[in-house]
Formats: sequence, C-alpha cells, structure tokens
Amino acid sequence: MTSVLANIGRRWLSLSEGVGQMTLLTLTTWWKFWTTAPDRIEFMRSLYKVGVQSFPIVVVTALLTGAIMVIQSGQLVAQYEAYGLLGWGAGYATLREVGPILIGLMFSGRVGANNTAELGTMRITEQIDALRALAIDPIPYLLVPRFFAIVSMMFLLTLVGNLMALVGGTITSQFLLQVDWRLFVWSLREYLHLSDLFNGLIKSVFFGIAIATVSNHFGYHTSGGAVGVGRAVNSSVVFSAVSIFVLDFVIGYFLP
Amino acid sequence: MSAPAAQTPSSGPMSRSLAAVGGPLLMIGGELRDIFRMLFLTLYYLFRKPVRWRAVVEQGYEIGNRSLVFVTLVLGFLGMILIYQSAYQAQQIVGDLQLLGALFLQLLFREFAPTITALMIATRVGTGIAAEVGSMVVTEQVDALRMNNADPIQYLVVPRFVAGLVMTVVLSVFAVVVCFLAGMFVADRLFDVSPTTFFNTTLLTWGDLIAFLMKAFAYGIAVPVISAHAGLSAFGGSEGVGAATTKAVVNCSLAVVFLDFLLSGFAFVFLF
Repeated sequence: MTSVLANIGRRWLSLSEGVGQMTLLTLTTWWKFWTTAPDRIEFMRSLYKVGVQSFPIVVVTALLTGAIMVIQSGQLVAQYEAYGLLGWGAGYATLREVGPILIGLMFSGRVGANNTAELGTMRITEQIDALRALAIDPIPYLLVPRFFAIVSMMFLLTLVGNLMALVGGTITSQFLLQVDWRLFVWSLREYLHLSDLFNGLIKSVFFGIAIATVSNHFGYHTSGGAVGVGRAVNSSVVFSAVSIFVLDFVIGYFLP
Repeated sequence: MSAPAAQTPSSGPMSRSLAAVGGPLLMIGGELRDIFRMLFLTLYYLFRKPVRWRAVVEQGYEIGNRSLVFVTLVLGFLGMILIYQSAYQAQQIVGDLQLLGALFLQLLFREFAPTITALMIATRVGTGIAAEVGSMVVTEQVDALRMNNADPIQYLVVPRFVAGLVMTVVLSVFAVVVCFLAGMFVADRLFDVSPTTFFNTTLLTWGDLIAFLMKAFAYGIAVPVISAHAGLSAFGGSEGVGAATTKAVVNCSLAVVFLDFLLSGFAFVFLF
C-alpha cells in the first residue's frame, strides 16, 4: 500500500518538476529573446539546419500524404460518382488536419529529436558548463536561436508541404483514379477557402512552439551519459507527439 | 560512400549537380540494402535458430503494455477531432449524420488506426530500441556479445522483431477501439448521434479488414528492423546514440508513410 502511494507520489513529483522546469525554461527563452541580442551566426546555422536540411523529408512526406488522402477519398467519390468533389475532400482534409499533423510528426522526428540529441550531448560532455565558464549565457546563445528557428521553419515548411501535398494529390488523381487533373484543380479552387489554409497554418505555429519547447527542455536537462541522451530523445519525441495531437484537438475545437 | 565529384578532376557545375543528386541516392540505396540484409538475417535466425522467448515476452511488455497510455491519449484525441470536424462539415452540407459512424469505422480500419498507431510506435518504440541498442554499441556491450559468439542480430534483434510485430497488430486493434469510442463520445455529446446509430458496421467489408491487417503487419515488420538497424550502426559516444535515435525515428516514420502509400494504392486497385 505504502509502496503504491510512494510510487504515485514520486511520479507526481517528477512530473511537476518537469513541467516547472519546462515552463521556467520557456519563459526565460522568451525573456532573453527580447532583452539580449541573438548570436547572428548561431541563428543562421540553426535556420539552415532546421529548415534547409528538413526540406527533402518534408517534401517527400507531403507528396505521399496528398496521394494517400486522394486514394482514401477516391473510393467514396467513385461510389457516388461525384468526381468534382475529389479535390475538395482530399484538399480539405490535407490542409486542415492531416498535412499539419504528419508534417509536424516528421518535423518532431527530424528536428526535435536532432535538437534534443545535440543539446543533450552538449550537456553530457559539459560543453554547456564550458560556455558558462566563458561567461556566455547558454540560453540566449543556444536555446533562443533554436526555438525561433523551429517555430518559423515549421510554419514555412508547412506552407511548402501543403503545396506539395496538393501536387501529389493531383498526380495521383490523374494516374491512379483517372480523374482529369484540370477537374481536380478546379475542385480545389472552387470549394477550398483561404480559411482552410490559415487554419492549418495556425496549427503549424502551435505545433512548432510545442516541438521547440519540448525538445529544448529535454535536451537542456539531460543527465546520465550516453544512455541518458537516448532516453532524452525518446521522451522528447513522445511528448512532442502527444502535444501535437492534444493541440490539434484544442485548436480544431475552438476554430472549426 | 564517397562523393563521385571528389574523383573527377574537373568539378564544374554539371558534375557538381550530378553529384548532389547521386550522392544522396547512393546513400539511400546503401541504407536500404543494409536494412533488407538485416531483415533477411532476422528471418533466418528466427526460423533456423532457437528464439529467446523470455526476451520476447520482456520486449512485448516494454513495447506493448508501456505504450498503452500513449496510444490511448493520441488516438483518443484523434478520434474526437476527426468526428468533430467531419460532423461539423456534414451537418452544414448534407445535414444527415446517419452514416457518420459507418464511414468513420471504415476510414479507421483502412487508414488512420494502423498508420497513426505505427507512427506512434515508431516514435516511442523505435527511439527506445535505437537508444537501447545504440547505448549497448557505444559501451561495447555488443562487441562483448560478439566475443562470446552470440550474434547481436539473433540475441538482440530477433526478440524485438517478434515482439514488435505482434504488438503492432495488437495495438492497432486497440487503436480502432479507442478511436471509435472517442468518436462515439463526441458524436453523442455534441451532435446528438446515439451510440446505436453510430455503431454501424454495414459499410465494413473483408477488403477493409485485409487492408488493415496488411498495413499492421507491414509496419510491424518495418519499425523494429529499421530502428534496430539504426541502433546497431551507432558509433562514437553520446553523440552517436543521439544520432542513432534521430535516424531511427526519421527512417521509421518515412517507411510508414511510404508503405502506407504503397498499400493504400494496392488496396484501392485490388480490394475495394
């Protein structure tokens, strides 16, 4: 009985500690963003690593996502012979739900995990302590550029990804479903609104904030050698995934 | 895999751009070959050599039971938002929510339950396997295994492969249940669709079930092998473990999305 209670208490305490650490770290990151000048070189390097290097994986994922959504809605459309609705069905689902979620998951795998691994390695090999010994505050130097690189690049890559998903959907509808691509594009332009695109983009900003916060936190607070780095990456991607789906629900509920 | 541009004396824009295309392609090809080699070795050891069933059970607990909360959370929220969005749209366009549950169940079996579950397993279990195996590699435990004449693939990969395959299928079925119940809850509370109307299996065909099982099996084979491959190819210290875990989650997710595309296309042409 006591062991059960102790177990619950220990978990609760460690959870509270984690949440508190994460909140403090995020607040400090925001505060330092406004009060200190960012390191320009580190900022550019982060933007390059986060944005340019994830470009291929986002494009591939988005192309396949668009194709999958067309295949899944294609069967329904074929049942009712409403080929004019194919673009709307696939486009609506992709822009609002599936596109941001899948790109977010990919981004969390590629960038979030990488960020956690990098910061965790720096922590384990005492590079962060070395920075501090050189009177360089690690938060504005390391965390602020990463945070804003992740948020801005998630937003921009979702834009690119949405375009690629629609392209993938168009190709699939032409070659697999034999629906003329002009009809598909007409359907997209006729039934989709700008609000559908913006809804997905708002989601992507929040996903980016979640991924940046979680991956910075788990990387910055890594402990326990090489094993600890692996564990930190594992927790980072798990928490990012959960927060992506929870945020998706909350945003979808309040902004239908 | 050295870049071909290094060997040519003249590295003009032409050969540079060719190298930029060919280098990644060669790298992807080499990686794929390694992964398939590991898959065949795993199958060989699985059928020809004794399997450590105790390790299989341990890994099954680690992969299956300990992912339950995670999968429940993610799929629950997914089911709620999917029903919320589609019911909201259907109410405005058609005004009739009779078929909502039936269509939702069909879509769950075909697409969302196996694929999102596999992505979550890639996230949680894939990184877990890569981190564990990668740490064993960099702390030279795998070399110790080799020195004791125990093949790391037989000793480490086969139990994870069997447990991963079984647990992916089990968790996918579980995901259907969770996601459907969450959707049913939202439909009942917010859209006045009673659970008896919502629970409608008339649209479900054998083709949907076959597509579901094919996807679950394919993901269950891909994820453990790819993440174990990423873990075994780790090198260096803590940096190597981090790189291996990142590689595992990226490769697994890409493999899941790609297999999803292939199998959806296959199912669309042959099953529905």
